[in-house]
Amino acid sequence: MTPHLTDTPVLETERLMLRIPRAEDFDRFRPFVMSDRARYVGGGADKSEGHAWRMLAIITGHWHLRGFGTFVAVDKATDQPIGSIGPWYPAGWPEHELGWTIWDPAYEGRGYAAEAVVRTRDYAFHDLGWETAVSYIAHGNDRSVALAERLGALRDDSAATPDADPTYVYRHPQPGGAA
Amino acid sequence: MIPTLETDRLILRPTRLEDIPHEQAFYQTDRAAFVGGRMDPTLVWRAMAAGIGHWTLRGYGPFGVEEKATGIYCGHVGPWFPEGWPEPEISWTIMEAAEGRGIAYEAALASRAWAYETLGWTTAISLIDPDNTRSIALAERLGAVHDSDFTHVIYGPMQVWRHPSPETLT
Repeated sequence: MTPHLTDTPVLETERLMLRIPRAEDFDRFRPFVMSDRARYVGGGADKSEGHAWRMLAIITGHWHLRGFGTFVAVDKATDQPIGSIGPWYPAGWPEHELGWTIWDPAYEGRGYAAEAVVRTRDYAFHDLGWETAVSYIAHGNDRSVALAERLGALRDDSAATPDADPTYVYRHPQPGGAA
Repeated sequence: MIPTLETDRLILRPTRLEDIPHEQAFYQTDRAAFVGGRMDPTLVWRAMAAGIGHWTLRGYGPFGVEEKATGIYCGHVGPWFPEGWPEPEISWTIMEAAEGRGIAYEAALASRAWAYETLGWTTAISLIDPDNTRSIALAERLGAVHDSDFTHVIYGPMQVWRHPSPETLT
């Protein structure tokens, strides 16, 4: 009787397994959301556990409502969930987005986010049939800007932004090569 | 899969994308005053996502309630236990079109029975805003009693209404 999403994809990269969120991910997700490292993605040191849990529930429910969603990246070597990466298209988003968060600072700066985003971008274009993809990056989030550029994305100042804080739009290169 | 329950007049089934416009309209009115207040439509979408994500994270969650005869969406009712809640509760949020006809009662009764029989809950509460006289009346009709108070970090003070235990209902 356990309700579950059926036939959800599992993707793999050299170092990571990408799957839908699970209840046990909360142990690693919670400290991230309740830290200032999450200040650009809806978290922060002033946030409650309830807020963190609700964010995980929203990420999970997005899969139910859209049939696709953000993956949790798991380090194959340790089985530890390390971040949430990939397709994101909630109400109010002008376009399909590829998002990323790395929960554990020990996993930052080692190319894990890039590895996972490249895989989910390929999935979005080839399996979901997206024709373009953007990443919305809050002003001041320099690490994410650097990653977007490393992924070949280009700033598109003509594109619409979600009605939220000031945001840059980075448009990813399409499978054919052009951004 | 999320189960589907049936009562005389209602179907309780997973919430889905088509339900969201009804909830968005509800949260544009003061009728939402006792369930968090008016909310931007994009945030209502996320709240509905959280409700269905709750099923995957907890193994249970709120049902979308549909009236069999008309097909109208009546609201969401059922088990609810997000992080930060004192205990698992039976919750209800009813759209205007379904008000005043005992629909919330019928849906709450069915989802409480499901929580007791299928999930094995040994007790259940409902958290109610102290000024929400309609919901308090419904809790009383369901046999619940006001047994304590709780203050939520975001939603503020609420009354804890405790439902009759499974043993006393059989």
